[in-house]
Amino acid sequence: MKKIIDALPLVVFASLIIVLFSFLSDKDDQLETALIDSSFPDFNLGSLSDESRLLTKQDIIKLPALINVWATWCIACRVEHPFLMKLKEESILTIYGLNYKDNKLKALDLLERDGNPFEFSIYDFEGRLAIDLGVYGAPETFFIDKNGLIRERHVGVIDERVWEEKFSKYLNE
Amino acid sequence: MIPEFGHLILIVHLVLSLLGGTLPLLVVYANYRSLEISIKKLSVTLFILITISFLSLIYSFLVDDFSVAYVAQNSNINLPVYYKFAATWGAHEGSLVLWILAMNAWLIGFIFFTHSKDKDFLATVFSISCQVIFAFSLFTLFTSNPFERILPIPPLNGADLNPSLQDFAFTVHPPLLYFGYSGLLIPFAIAVSAMLFKKDTREWASYSRPWTLLSCSFLTLGIALGSWWAYYELGWGGWWFWDPVENAAFVPWLLSVALFHSLITSQNRGVFGKWSILLSIFAFATSLLGTFLVRSGILTSVHAFALDPERGLFILAILAFFVIGSLLIYSITDFGHVEENKYELTSKEFGFLLNNLLLVVLAISILFGTIFPLIYEAFTGGKQISVGAPYFEIILFPFALALGLLQGVALYLSWGKSSSFSFLPRLFIESLSIFSLIILILFVLFDNLYLSSFATIFLASWILVGTLQITKKRNLSYWNFLRKRLAVTFAHAGMAILTIGVGVVSSYSLEKEIILSPGDSTEFSDQTINFQSIDDLLGPNYTSKSAVVSFEDGSELSNIVTEKRTYLPSGQITTEAGIQADLFKDLYVSIGDNLQSNIWSFKIQIKPFIRWIWLGALLIAIGSFLAGVKQFKRR
Repeated sequence: MKKIIDALPLVVFASLIIVLFSFLSDKDDQLETALIDSSFPDFNLGSLSDESRLLTKQDIIKLPALINVWATWCIACRVEHPFLMKLKEESILTIYGLNYKDNKLKALDLLERDGNPFEFSIYDFEGRLAIDLGVYGAPETFFIDKNGLIRERHVGVIDERVWEEKFSKYLNE
Repeated sequence: MIPEFGHLILIVHLVLSLLGGTLPLLVVYANYRSLEISIKKLSVTLFILITISFLSLIYSFLVDDFSVAYVAQNSNINLPVYYKFAATWGAHEGSLVLWILAMNAWLIGFIFFTHSKDKDFLATVFSISCQVIFAFSLFTLFTSNPFERILPIPPLNGADLNPSLQDFAFTVHPPLLYFGYSGLLIPFAIAVSAMLFKKDTREWASYSRPWTLLSCSFLTLGIALGSWWAYYELGWGGWWFWDPVENAAFVPWLLSVALFHSLITSQNRGVFGKWSILLSIFAFATSLLGTFLVRSGILTSVHAFALDPERGLFILAILAFFVIGSLLIYSITDFGHVEENKYELTSKEFGFLLNNLLLVVLAISILFGTIFPLIYEAFTGGKQISVGAPYFEIILFPFALALGLLQGVALYLSWGKSSSFSFLPRLFIESLSIFSLIILILFVLFDNLYLSSFATIFLASWILVGTLQITKKRNLSYWNFLRKRLAVTFAHAGMAILTIGVGVVSSYSLEKEIILSPGDSTEFSDQTINFQSIDDLLGPNYTSKSAVVSFEDGSELSNIVTEKRTYLPSGQITTEAGIQADLFKDLYVSIGDNLQSNIWSFKIQIKPFIRWIWLGALLIAIGSFLAGVKQFKRR
C-alpha cells in the first residue's frame, strides 16, 4: 500500500506529460488541415501601393497562385525574396502578397529597391485577414489551385527545396 | 568573428557540463576514483565560459551586428544603447543563455557556501545540476541558437526590440524571474541526492533552505516588477491578469513558499522529509512546465515568444526526463525509518502542515485552470474555451482567507504542542482596532466605505498584528530583533501590506472613459479634468502624440502626460499611460482613439493604495532574502 502511494506522484505527473505531449503533436495537424481544401477567406482590405483601391477575394483572379505573407520587419522574408522574384521572372505562377502588420512606406521602399514579385500586395496592418488564415507569423505561403481552394501551406522561408517538395506537384495537376 | 567565438564557447560549455554531469557520478557510484575532478574548479570554469558566451552576444547587440539573426530580429540601429544591451535577453534565444548563466551562478554559490564533510553527496548534487545545465545548453544550441548568422546577405537594419519591452522595468524583470526559476534547480538536485544517499532529513533540509529562500526572493521581485510593468505599460490599469504566463510564475512561487516553510519544519524537527522532497521536485517541475507552456506556443498570451512546436517538444523531453526520473527514484526509495517527533493539532508543525496543504492545493487549482483549456480542447476535438479571471478569483479568495487567518496565529505556535491560546482575545481586539483605524482613514480619504473590502482589510490587520505583536511579546533587545526576527517580520508584514493594497484597490478603484477636445474639461469623482494640449513629439526611435491632461481637486493641480507612440522600425503602436503616483492613490490616464480631427478619447482611472501591493511584495522579497542570507551565517 505504502509503495502504491509513493508511486502516485509519478503516475500523475507521467499522465500530465502524456496529455501535453499528445496535444503538442496534434496541434500541427489541426492547424495544417483546418484550411486545406477550403476556399480562400473573404476579405476587404486596401492595396499596399494604392490606398484608395479596395481589394477583395474577387481580385485574386490569376489562378493557380501563391499567397505570400511578408513584412519588412521579417528578416526571413528577405531571404526568400530572391526566390519569389525568380518564380515571377520565369512566369511559373502568379504571387499575391499579404503585407502583414507593416509600415507602408518601408514596404513600398523595399519593393522598389529589391523588386516586386507580387501581382499586388494586400495591406493588412491589423492582421485581420491573417487571423482568418491562421497565420503564425511571417513568412508564410499558401498555394491556391485553379478552383480557388487552398491546397498547401508552408510556414517559414520558401526556397527551391520547399517548392519542389510541397508546392510544385499542385501546379501540374 | 565574435559571434562565432561565443558560439564555440557555448559548445565547450556544453561538453564540460556533460563531463560535470557524468564524471562525479562515475566516481561516486562506480568508484573510479582516478577520474575524480575538482567540482569547485569545474563550476567556476563553467560559469566563466557561459559568461563569456553571454558577453559576446551582448557585444553583437552593442555593435549592431545584424548578420546575427537574433540581433537582427530584436534590435535596430536607432534603438537607444541601454535597450540594445537589454535586448540581449528580450526574446527566447538570449533569455535561455541568461537562464543557463543563472543556473551556473546558483551552482557556484551552492558549491562554495555549503559546508559538508560528505564530498560524495556534494559531488552528486553538482552532477545532477550539471545534467540540467547540459540539457538546457543542448536545447539552446539545437533549437534556439542565438549566434545563428544570416548569410550571405545580412540585413542593413534590424526589426527592432518589441516596443512594449523598451522600458526599464521590463529590462530588469526577466533576469530576476530567470534567477528565481533557475534557483529552484538547487533544492531539486539536493532532494534527489538526499534520496540517493538516504540523508538525514535535518541535514539535507539545512542545505536546501537558503537556496529556496533566495530563489523565492528573486521570484517575488520578478513577479512584482512584471505586475508593475503590466500596470503602466499595457494601459489597462490592472495589476494582475491571470494570464497563463503570470500563472506560470505564480505556481512555482507558491510552491517555493510552501517548500521553505516545510523545510523549516524538516530542519528543526526532522519531520515532513518526504513531503519536502516532493515539493522540491514539483517546484522545479512547475518552473520548467511554465517555460514549456510559454515557449511551445500551446497557450497564447500577452507574452509572445517566437513559437515553435519543436522547442516545446524539447522542453517537454527535458521536463519528462528529470521529473519522471526523480519521481521514479522517489517511488523506489525505501525511506525506512519512521519519523520520530510527534506533534499535536495545536503545534507549530501542524500549522506548517496546514500552510503547506493550502498553498499546494491553491497551486494545483491555478495550474489546473491554466492548462484546462488545453485538456478540454484535446478531449472535445478542437473546441476552445478560456478560463479567465473569475475562476481564479473565486478559487483564490477562500485559500487566501484561510492562509491569512493561519498566518496571524502562526508565529505564536510552539513545536510539539502549543500550551496556551490566551493570545487570541488580544490578537482579535488589536486587529479589530487596526482594522477600524484603516477603515477610518479610508473614509477620510475617499468619503466612502465599501463592505466588499472589509474582509480583506480585516485579514490584513490580523496578519499585521500577529506579526508585530509576537515580536514585541518576545521582548527582544533591538540587536536580537534585527538578528532573529527581522526577516520574518519583513516578509509577514509585507504580506499584510500587500493584502491591504489588494483589498482597497479592488473595491475603491474608479474608472471612466471620457471624450474631450483640447481646452475642454469634465468632472470625475472629486477631480476636475482638463485636456490641456496635444503635441507631436519625436523620440529616438518613435514618433508620438503626447497629450497633457490636468487633474485638479480643489487644493492640488497636477499635469499628467500620456502618449500614443508609433515605433518607426516596426510601425507598432503603444500607449504610454500617464500616472501621478503617491502612497494613497494613483491618478491614471491613458490616451485612446483619435475620434475626429481634434477629439480624443481617454480612459481615466483612480487607483487607491495600488502602490501598497508592490511595496508589500518588495518587503516579502527583502524578508525572504534576509532569511536566506541568515542561513549562511548560522553555519
